[in-house]
Amino acid sequence: MLRSEKRSLFRFLILYLGSTFILFSIASWLYYISSKHHLLDQQRESIKYEAEHIKSQLRTLHKSNDAKLIYPNSKGTQSAIYDVDKAYIIGTFKTVQSLDINKYGNRLYHTVKMEPYYLGAAYLLVAKDINVVPIEGLQRNVFLFMLGAGLFFTMLGYFLGKLFVAPMRDAIEKMNHFIQDTTHELNTPISTILTNIEMIETFGKHEENSTELKRIEIASQTLSRIYDDLTYIKLNHKYHRQIVTINMSTLVEERIVYFSAMAEAKGLEVTVNIDPNVMLRIDKNDAIRLVDNLISNAIKYNKTKGLLDVRLTEDLFSVKDTGIGIRSEDLSTILQRFKRANKSEGGFGIGLDIVNQVVASYDFDLEMNSKEGEGTEVSVKWEK
Amino acid sequence: MGKIVIVLSFMSLFLYAEALNTQDHSFKNTCLSCHEQQQIPSALMYKRYLMKYSTNKGMEEAMFSYMKDPKKEHSIMPAPFFLKFPMKENTDLDDDTLHKHIKTYLELFDIKKKLMLKE
Repeated sequence: MLRSEKRSLFRFLILYLGSTFILFSIASWLYYISSKHHLLDQQRESIKYEAEHIKSQLRTLHKSNDAKLIYPNSKGTQSAIYDVDKAYIIGTFKTVQSLDINKYGNRLYHTVKMEPYYLGAAYLLVAKDINVVPIEGLQRNVFLFMLGAGLFFTMLGYFLGKLFVAPMRDAIEKMNHFIQDTTHELNTPISTILTNIEMIETFGKHEENSTELKRIEIASQTLSRIYDDLTYIKLNHKYHRQIVTINMSTLVEERIVYFSAMAEAKGLEVTVNIDPNVMLRIDKNDAIRLVDNLISNAIKYNKTKGLLDVRLTEDLFSVKDTGIGIRSEDLSTILQRFKRANKSEGGFGIGLDIVNQVVASYDFDLEMNSKEGEGTEVSVKWEK
Repeated sequence: MGKIVIVLSFMSLFLYAEALNTQDHSFKNTCLSCHEQQQIPSALMYKRYLMKYSTNKGMEEAMFSYMKDPKKEHSIMPAPFFLKFPMKENTDLDDDTLHKHIKTYLELFDIKKKLMLKE
């Protein structure tokens, strides 16, 4: 699965499952509350029945002429009687704060008004412990339902997500095939041109400092670099990196020589500050793509006869130009693939995306300072 | 000093007990003797009052009103009761004594004293 495809599928699943979960949670909660009330009402009905039974026992007691009147006590139910001023008379539990009580803690209460006042009781308060077994059963059923629904909708969401991202996947695959075909077709002519230029320069069958030949060389190098970038992007998700210790000082010097013709053609004043023997553990191709893209951008977007400053220290590599700069609102999106802040120059908008990919792969820091019309400085820091 | 306090305490207790005894004696002579003589069911009357008024305070007020003006319409007893038992004559007791007698009556038949929980 492609990276963008994974990201889209993940976002879709988050959105779909999140909204489904919220909806089901609300529905399950409402169902649970309603069913729990129903169960408690059923238990309350049994308390009402008990209350009627106690009332009849109180009536019998009231009429009794016995010397001792034993207050009725039934198993599992507790009760107490209160006079018309709501003062406690007697009962199997101690007095409560208020007679207007339905439920407290794990107990259900039911208050019955007595008329007439047998034994002086105007109120009969009956209490019973809540039977939690059916409520626990209900909780278990709701949990199982949520679990089942969650599994079902995750599978459904995954299937639907795959269905939705299929057109995007097709488009990306088509583009990848196009890039693959293009790079394949470009490879041979570019190699041929570069080899022949080298032969002409070596065997001297040309005028010294031939402008036409320089132009051909620069154009060929540009084409070669585009080819390398496209190949890098195409292979990036299945590219096996070989991390070795590289002398960055040597590599940066080599790449500056490589770009010297291009910089010269634009009349740039190049200042190079490279600390000797800066060693870095990195894949060589990654290092070349990182350095090439930053230098190439600094040349391409620089003004004619501008300044190009390349710096390499133990901590960072930075390239500074005096070019067109980047608008502050574009700074946050400039690293995205195919994003170009300025369309006056050629290119596909993949250079900074490659830089960003390399930086992310090695957990480097990328810092970009730019002012429109004044220039840009890009720094890659590897020592934190 | 200690002896004086003890003697005074005993005297107070004795006087209080004597007063109670006198109150009981007066209640028996004034009220209960007549009830017993005429076989008026005092306990039944108490239960009837209790069933209607619930508290001692309510019962006391109701009894006091009836005693001050004993008529059928002021009584809580059913009409057939007066076919069997004579209508009470107007009391010649002062209010304070009447209140005390009613309290003694309520105390004597207090059903709450009989109520208890199963052990």
